[in-house]
Amino acid sequence: MNITRLITDPIDVNEALGAIADPECGAQVFFLGVVRNEFEGRASQGIFYDAYVSLAEKELARIATELHDAFDIRHLVLVHRIGDLPVGTASVLVAVAAGHRPDAFRAAKEGIDRIKARVPIWKREHWVKGPDTWHDDASASHDVE
Amino acid sequence: MEKNITVTTLFFSFAADRMNARQIQVPLAPGSTLGQLIEEQFVARLGPESQNWLFSVNQEWASRDLPLQDGDEVAVIPPVSGG
Repeated sequence: MNITRLITDPIDVNEALGAIADPECGAQVFFLGVVRNEFEGRASQGIFYDAYVSLAEKELARIATELHDAFDIRHLVLVHRIGDLPVGTASVLVAVAAGHRPDAFRAAKEGIDRIKARVPIWKREHWVKGPDTWHDDASASHDVE
Repeated sequence: MEKNITVTTLFFSFAADRMNARQIQVPLAPGSTLGQLIEEQFVARLGPESQNWLFSVNQEWASRDLPLQDGDEVAVIPPVSGG
């Protein structure tokens, strides 16, 4: 089974476990990306995730197809949460089931790497001190009040 | 003279901040390309680095030489940062 979607509700790890359960699969790899309390040494209290939802979901589905083509895996879940997420909240889940662990690990790593590189989702950091800024915005002020 | 076409352009992340809008309707001469739209209407406000960004038309990645049609949905995609 494949699940690829953007969501605003909390990531449901149990749903993903159910989606990839398969007696022919001896390996399940889960990756959860979690909102961290700092970025490049500056304290953060959370992240707002913006997205172009329709294209982002298409791109997630394309990545799923690529991973099935490139690796010997049977089931895949690629879910990204958007909206305002405080520190410690899971923002992205990659779950893979495969017959054996080498392809499961490799597909999971490729999955999160491709999501971060290609899916139209953007982070705005809620700093502990100073105004929010978008990641990769060269015009943003990085001064701390 | 052919009637102008109208396209909707969507902005996200800091591109929306720079445009002070999430969505703009733009009238264009028939036969205008995506590249012309970006260059003539938006680069001055988005900054020169926007020349290197990605764009989509009707929810699919698009190249700058694509001719736009009436009713198209263009999106300006600054560097992504999901995860």
